[in-house]
Amino acid sequence: MINDAGLLAYQLIPLFTAVLIPFAARRKPGFSAILANAALLAGLINIGYALLKPANLAASFANIKEDGFSLLMIFTIYLVALCVTFFSAWFMEDRPNRAAYYCLILTSVSAMCGIVTTGDFFTLYIFVEALAITSFALIASDDSAAGLEGALKYFLLTCPASLFILFGIAFLMLTAGTFSFENIKVLIASGVPAGAVVFAVSLILLGFLIKSGVVPFHAWTPDACQGAPAPVSAYLAAIVTKISGVYAVIRIAIMLRLFEIKSYHTSELLMFLGMLSIIVGALAALKAKEFKRMLAFSSISQTGYIVLAAGIGTPLAILGAVFHLVNHAVFNTVLFLNSASLEKAAGAGEMRRLAGLEHAMPWTSWTSLIAFLSMAGIPPLAGFWSKLIIILALWDGGAEVYAVLALLFSAVTLAGLLATQKKIFFGKATEACANVREARPALLAPVVAMSVLIIALGVFFPYIYSYLIETIAARLIL
Amino acid sequence: MTGYFALDWYFITLIFFAGMYCMLVSRSLIRQLIGLEIMSKSCLLGIISTGALTNNLALSQALIIMMIVIEAVVVAVGLSLLVKNYRLTGSIDIWSLDNLKG
Repeated sequence: MINDAGLLAYQLIPLFTAVLIPFAARRKPGFSAILANAALLAGLINIGYALLKPANLAASFANIKEDGFSLLMIFTIYLVALCVTFFSAWFMEDRPNRAAYYCLILTSVSAMCGIVTTGDFFTLYIFVEALAITSFALIASDDSAAGLEGALKYFLLTCPASLFILFGIAFLMLTAGTFSFENIKVLIASGVPAGAVVFAVSLILLGFLIKSGVVPFHAWTPDACQGAPAPVSAYLAAIVTKISGVYAVIRIAIMLRLFEIKSYHTSELLMFLGMLSIIVGALAALKAKEFKRMLAFSSISQTGYIVLAAGIGTPLAILGAVFHLVNHAVFNTVLFLNSASLEKAAGAGEMRRLAGLEHAMPWTSWTSLIAFLSMAGIPPLAGFWSKLIIILALWDGGAEVYAVLALLFSAVTLAGLLATQKKIFFGKATEACANVREARPALLAPVVAMSVLIIALGVFFPYIYSYLIETIAARLIL
Repeated sequence: MTGYFALDWYFITLIFFAGMYCMLVSRSLIRQLIGLEIMSKSCLLGIISTGALTNNLALSQALIIMMIVIEAVVVAVGLSLLVKNYRLTGSIDIWSLDNLKG
């Protein structure tokens, strides 16, 4: 069941394009990249206009009828997918099975749009499985041993998660008799015995926590990101794992919030797991030796902030979690695409073989610095605002210890990220890096555009804030 | 009806944990996949059982058909990964999947 039929087009157009590509690009493989980019660009312009047209800005977004969370997520999905396809169009020009690659990307965009627009748990499960299948294929798409290993680990460690979701659905059928988010909310408000429904929803929540790679279940995340071909790992870390896991966790947190006192323990546990992933992710990132692996661990740590905010569950915290989800997608795209350019230019992903690339690759160096600072939460950039909202919400909700710890580990994250920046870009160039040249302008374009977006999201924060308040926070109260 | 329901869920949990045990102890990738399948079969049985209890068999049949389709696709993808990995490395031992580190 789709909440809003108007949003169905965002899901169908990539799917039709994916069906079209093998026929249209049979003679000329290069045509598949153009087709994929055109479809995603059209979707991005469309959703961008729907969000930011002057009438909406003038009324400070109060006239948006659709679910603001879904709209914002569709925008983010199209943005990241367009960056990745544009980058891959120039990055993997000589790959044999390009048409299949673009088909898989477009199918997974369609599945993700399905996830964010659906209104009930069973449809959510179907789209999550579709997304998982396309991402296994994408990780293994370059036929390398590393890619297959990453894909197999992702497969074996996340497929049990979907079984927990199924069990949760069975219990939901038994206790609530319905899967629809709205009906469950109404049911809760009418005061049914909540324990059984909380148990069912918590089982589903457990499944999505495994899929989002929160700490006790994080073993597959670094391997999948490291083993995948470079643009795919950007796609995977920035948006796929976030939509298939964290998005649903936020949705369920909104729902559990309505139980208030009855789901107290679930919310407590969610906050604990969030804090644990912040700590473990930040510390493991300090120790990692491979650039992509280090990025994957800091991505786990950022996921921790989102889960922590979802755990406290006040409207302010949910708002912060949603904004951090968007920010996380943007800066992770920049960093992973930069790691791909580095890998291509210097021929190595290990950090000890990279040094002093600042003068050889100035654009890559500066965009990485902007993304690192946004991830660590330095004031003018977008990451600062979302972390500030999350920490304020934690303090406000009475979790002072968590607020202080989150602030503290934000500093640890900053230390780790700046140490990485120093190792790779500053200092004297090693022999391997002496003849490195800057990546081609076409490869830099998506990265620079995303860096500008990081700064713009930070500078124009009042607009974003009014959007989040009007379309998400104001509608949370039943 | 209710008496049968308790018996159903006794066996469903038994099957679920049998599958989980199979996944936890075996080293072969094929056995891992079989364990996964056993677990998912117990989920299907669970949905049928709840549908029978709540007099909602039509809904649960619809769900089951969707799930069977999804499962078939998941198993196909898993087996294809397994075959590709076997052609590349010549082994189906999960402990040989330890090359990514650092």
